[in-house]
Amino acid sequence: MTSPAPGIGARLFAWLEERTGLSVLSDLARKKRVPRHRHTIWYYLGGMTLFLFGIQVGTGILLLLYYRPSASEAFESVQFIMTRVPFGWLIRSIHSWSANLLVLTAFVHMFSVFFLKAYRKPRELTWLSGALLLFLMLGFGFSGYLLPWNELAFFATQVGTQVAGAVPVVGPFTLRLLRGGDLVTGGTLTRFYGFHVAVLPALATLLVGAHLILVQKHGMSVPPGVGKGGDSHDESVPSMPFLPNFLLRDLIGWVAALGILAALAALFPWELGTKADPFAPAPAGIRPEWYFAWMFQTLKLLPSHILGLEGEMLGVLGFGAGGLLLLLVPFLDGGRGGTSGRDRLIVACGWAVVAFMAAMTILVYLPAGK
Amino acid sequence: MSVDATRSIRRAGSGRRLILASLVSLLTVAPARAAEPPREAPAGPRPMETSCVSCHSQMDDVLLEPTKHMQDDIHFLKGLSCHDCHGGNPAAGGDGDPEAAHDRKMGWTGKPSRTQIPAFCAKCHADAAFMKRFNPHTRIDQYSEYRTSVHGKKNAEGDERTAVCVDCHGVHGIRAVSDPRSSVYPTKVAETCSACHADEKRMGHYFLPTTQHEEYRKSVHAHALYDEGDTSAPTCNDCHGSHGAVPPGVGNVANVCGSCHTREATMFRETEAKLKLDLAACIQCMVCHSNHAVLPPDDRMVGVGDASTCTGCHAEEDKGYKAAAQMADGIGALVKRLGEANERLDRAERAGVEVGPDRFDLQKGRDKLVEARVLVHSFDLEKFLAAAKEGLETADAGVAAGDRAEAELRTRRLGLWFSLLVIVAVLIGLALKVRQIERTSGT
Amino acid sequence: MSDPGSAQSRRGFLGWFLGTSVGAMCASILYPVARYISPPDVPEAQTSRVVAGRVGDLKPNEGKIFRFGSLPGLLIKTEDGGYRAVSATCTHLNCTVQYRSDLKQIWCACHNGFYDLTGKNVSGPPPRPLDEFKVNVADDEIVVSKT
Repeated sequence: MTSPAPGIGARLFAWLEERTGLSVLSDLARKKRVPRHRHTIWYYLGGMTLFLFGIQVGTGILLLLYYRPSASEAFESVQFIMTRVPFGWLIRSIHSWSANLLVLTAFVHMFSVFFLKAYRKPRELTWLSGALLLFLMLGFGFSGYLLPWNELAFFATQVGTQVAGAVPVVGPFTLRLLRGGDLVTGGTLTRFYGFHVAVLPALATLLVGAHLILVQKHGMSVPPGVGKGGDSHDESVPSMPFLPNFLLRDLIGWVAALGILAALAALFPWELGTKADPFAPAPAGIRPEWYFAWMFQTLKLLPSHILGLEGEMLGVLGFGAGGLLLLLVPFLDGGRGGTSGRDRLIVACGWAVVAFMAAMTILVYLPAGK
Repeated sequence: MSVDATRSIRRAGSGRRLILASLVSLLTVAPARAAEPPREAPAGPRPMETSCVSCHSQMDDVLLEPTKHMQDDIHFLKGLSCHDCHGGNPAAGGDGDPEAAHDRKMGWTGKPSRTQIPAFCAKCHADAAFMKRFNPHTRIDQYSEYRTSVHGKKNAEGDERTAVCVDCHGVHGIRAVSDPRSSVYPTKVAETCSACHADEKRMGHYFLPTTQHEEYRKSVHAHALYDEGDTSAPTCNDCHGSHGAVPPGVGNVANVCGSCHTREATMFRETEAKLKLDLAACIQCMVCHSNHAVLPPDDRMVGVGDASTCTGCHAEEDKGYKAAAQMADGIGALVKRLGEANERLDRAERAGVEVGPDRFDLQKGRDKLVEARVLVHSFDLEKFLAAAKEGLETADAGVAAGDRAEAELRTRRLGLWFSLLVIVAVLIGLALKVRQIERTSGT
Repeated sequence: MSDPGSAQSRRGFLGWFLGTSVGAMCASILYPVARYISPPDVPEAQTSRVVAGRVGDLKPNEGKIFRFGSLPGLLIKTEDGGYRAVSATCTHLNCTVQYRSDLKQIWCACHNGFYDLTGKNVSGPPPRPLDEFKVNVADDEIVVSKT
């Protein structure tokens, strides 16, 4: 059918196109297709993680307008946001809840990519940037947790940085670098603020950018066992266009997540607690946020000395080794997506890690006392 | 006596000798009371340079004692030395001749006996003209006060065991009262008094109890003094007197406690006048609060329960019993309501509702609670109930504020349902759109 | 399937429905954000400074209680027209103190404690002085801040 004379919208687009050449992006988007199979549902997790990260950036910027990063004002400023700023309670609670959901989706996204072997060639760098992003998200969580300067956060930070200091050789330096000194003080708070709103966001921007570009470049991976098997660029698998089908479905997930966040913020507002007092004794039952709980529990269970070496140090080194292995997954994998012994071992290790993390996390939250 | 004087006496006739001897002895060999200390500013050798110090500092044991702590002694530091109290010649005898130094003609008294000590110290300390030279606003009535005390009376009767000046103040290393190391500094007084008063053997002679110090250490006063460092908190001498120490049974205990607890004492006196009672005979502070083991008062002390002090005298049918019950109920209700108000405000604050102004208003309720507790001492039910009522009103306002905060939370939830409604609508719309697209495009 | 006409109208309805609900959702996001960004009634937490009153609220040799956060403060206008401000929470048992213009001292009614105008405890049970605050007069307002 004949189209009507170019309206104002089309003219604007043409003007922009002459100057930016951005139509190459919209062409890419129009051409992009998403495979449809029984594992398609896992494709949504990456976008969900991105959406939640966007929520964090948005609510974080809003919080920046009123927050003060000094030991004498931080707690009061968060209290001010919660009680005197219109809808401040909403913004703050969403930021806190969304942080937790973000870490959860990041982990699930990572595990789903792992088990669906979407890291195989040529997607090794995507995996690498993703794993680094996961570490960044944990860093965001750790640094952000201290910012309200309440009792729980203060002691959790003390314990957390203490653990970092247990690494041999670089440990003490790292501890001082993180704490801004030997102890957790107002200096630590300001430093963590710097990490949380500048350093980590800068790194995250770079990595997210790289990650997204690589995902668009390589398209969606097809897991082994679907289609012809083997190659992830299998065109025999039915697919749906990214625009508008997949995007609309993505939006359903995002809007639902928004609703869940609103409900959590209104029904279970994030508590403020009591202001940190560096000279008060640590209250009983200090523990870090749930996403660090499994590490915390592991260290607690390790004996104080193993073969003459400090248990805690070995534990921390173990986590370090685990992180390194995570980064190297695409290079350890056979790359064929087959069911060779090595492939089965990798999958089994994956399930073992999941089970271990789950078990340790549950142990932390079991009621104390046997 | 000097050699010359002895020679001159021998030269005189025996009768004149006798008179001369008597005159001389009256003038020189005399009890400490009659000897005069130098009245001018201390002249002669400086304290460290007296023959007293140069000999005694080289002796042992008891004879060394006087010089051991001289540098801490306030008399020494003010320029006084041994001869200013004990008489004698500080310029002579430094070469090892005690007779020259212990010169009775120059007023040497030697070591006074325990019964002589109070008067010995009073030689200077009761002399206004003398003391003012050192400290314009010092007191000079310690000796006369001492004589009114049990210690003083017994001392006058010749009792060698009872306390004299040196037992509390020390003897040769006497520090100023304001010196924290002094045995009579506020934080040291109880220890000093109980050196005798907690000693069963000593007190056994007088049939006196020895539990006072132990009980005092449990009290709020001891806590304030020792743990909080508040030197204005009372210790033994603040209630019993320092020099005129009187035992329990002082005329009106309420006057003693009332010297600090003025409001309660005033209320007592008003009750006395109103009921035309001699409360000194029946209720005194100690009946409810004890005398030494003054513990933090508990709300359960008021009323008719097990821990109550009212039921000690008041029987079930009398007015006092009923009033006590009402007071206890009043306090209990106020405490409970204030607790409720605080809890609501805490909950609201944790959920993010601003409650600063409401907490501020609630402070008045807390003030009223304190006032109600003080008004218990007026034994005036009407006054008490008035204060309690005001307190309850404030507490009720606090609870209402808490309710308002909860309402604010409910409003938020309402806002939530509305936005969830909108979100659900969007979700339905999106789902339908997806279905529509996929149906028409045949996917 | 039904005829293209009703399909069109259904599509139209769906488009309208989706558009309206998305619009409503955007509004319900933008409204709180807009309210959040616009300055609240007080610009910052009132922990370090408050406006205790206006010039003219007090006569010389008069005092009044004002709110500092959630705690009371006492603002006094002295006879020579100057201002003093102290914390009004008695250091003995936390009753609220008051200004006695007859004695020109600060008094706590609960147990007869007295403080001088600098907050120093001069008589009675209070063990510590009252915290002193700084007072500045800016235009018409009396601003009290923590030292």
